[in-house]
Amino acid sequence: MEPTRDLHATLTDLLDRVLDKGVIISADVIITVSGIPLIAVNLRAAIAGMETMLEYGLMTDWDEMTRSREREIRKEEVLSEARA
Amino acid sequence: MSANSCGRYVYCIAEAGEMLNFGDIGINDNEVYTLPYDSLCAVVHNCSAEPYSSGDKEVVRRWVISHQRVVETTLDRFGTVLPMSFDTIIQDTDEGSAEDNTRKWLVEKAEDLKNNLDRVRGNEEYGVQVFWEPNTIAGVISQTNPELRKLEEEIKSKSKGLAYMYKQRLGELLKQEMEKEAENYFKDFYHRIEDCVSEIKVEKTKTEVDKQMLINLSCLVARGKTEPLSNELENINKLDGFSVRFTGPWPPYSFVTVK
Repeated sequence: MEPTRDLHATLTDLLDRVLDKGVIISADVIITVSGIPLIAVNLRAAIAGMETMLEYGLMTDWDEMTRSREREIRKEEVLSEARA
Repeated sequence: MSANSCGRYVYCIAEAGEMLNFGDIGINDNEVYTLPYDSLCAVVHNCSAEPYSSGDKEVVRRWVISHQRVVETTLDRFGTVLPMSFDTIIQDTDEGSAEDNTRKWLVEKAEDLKNNLDRVRGNEEYGVQVFWEPNTIAGVISQTNPELRKLEEEIKSKSKGLAYMYKQRLGELLKQEMEKEAENYFKDFYHRIEDCVSEIKVEKTKTEVDKQMLINLSCLVARGKTEPLSNELENINKLDGFSVRFTGPWPPYSFVTVK
């Protein structure tokens, strides 16, 4: 099995890496918002919507909390199907 | 001081002490160049001292792809990079310009950065996710687990009320068995994959629409040595009820830790 780098198929993987990982500088020379390093903070909402859009094929602007709740519900649905 | 240049957006750190201009390949077509100090350089573009932020998903997507493209270009040019997290902007302070501060940071962290470069040198990152279809797995378990089979047999001869309680019990038992199976498979796959890679990192699993992610791994693999991993993943992918996602090579985003 060969690894894929197809941009469309791996966009979520790319976002996970570029937004959540990589070197983080913790120093006072970095732009901050009230002391918290502003690394992609403002982008969270936009990305949350984007991933949702990718998953469900919808243009929905759910915030992170709504999204994870939705995921929990889905997980429960899958599990209860398994139990049935 | 121009409003456009009081910040430096940092894409990555590379092992190169040379000044180099990559041209306008950056975010929003910014000119990307290296800021060298000693044997290290920061790959940057000039920007204002405010973060990139947009509610427009298409804009964000383009920025992230541009960030990645610069990291990859640097990787092609210098062989080893430490990718930065998105929106890392070094700004002017009372002590010095953004450029001075970037160099100062390179000096302060030189040892840590070099250790990280040693760690990832000659390696590439791959993403490995194994999914299972809970229904297929549950089907197998309920046919093979003696206790579950016994319960199912017993249900047939029970009254409606009792059968209901038995079904509850059956559901609970199946759930427990599924959890046990998930744990066993997790351990099994983890060890099989671990044997094929230089370094391995367990990531949070995510739930997808029609399948469940059992294991989410980032793997560091020596360049050109992916065959054992490819073969092992092929084996897992062939198992009934399982599927594998194999992505990469990525710059080593998951294997850099600078304090």
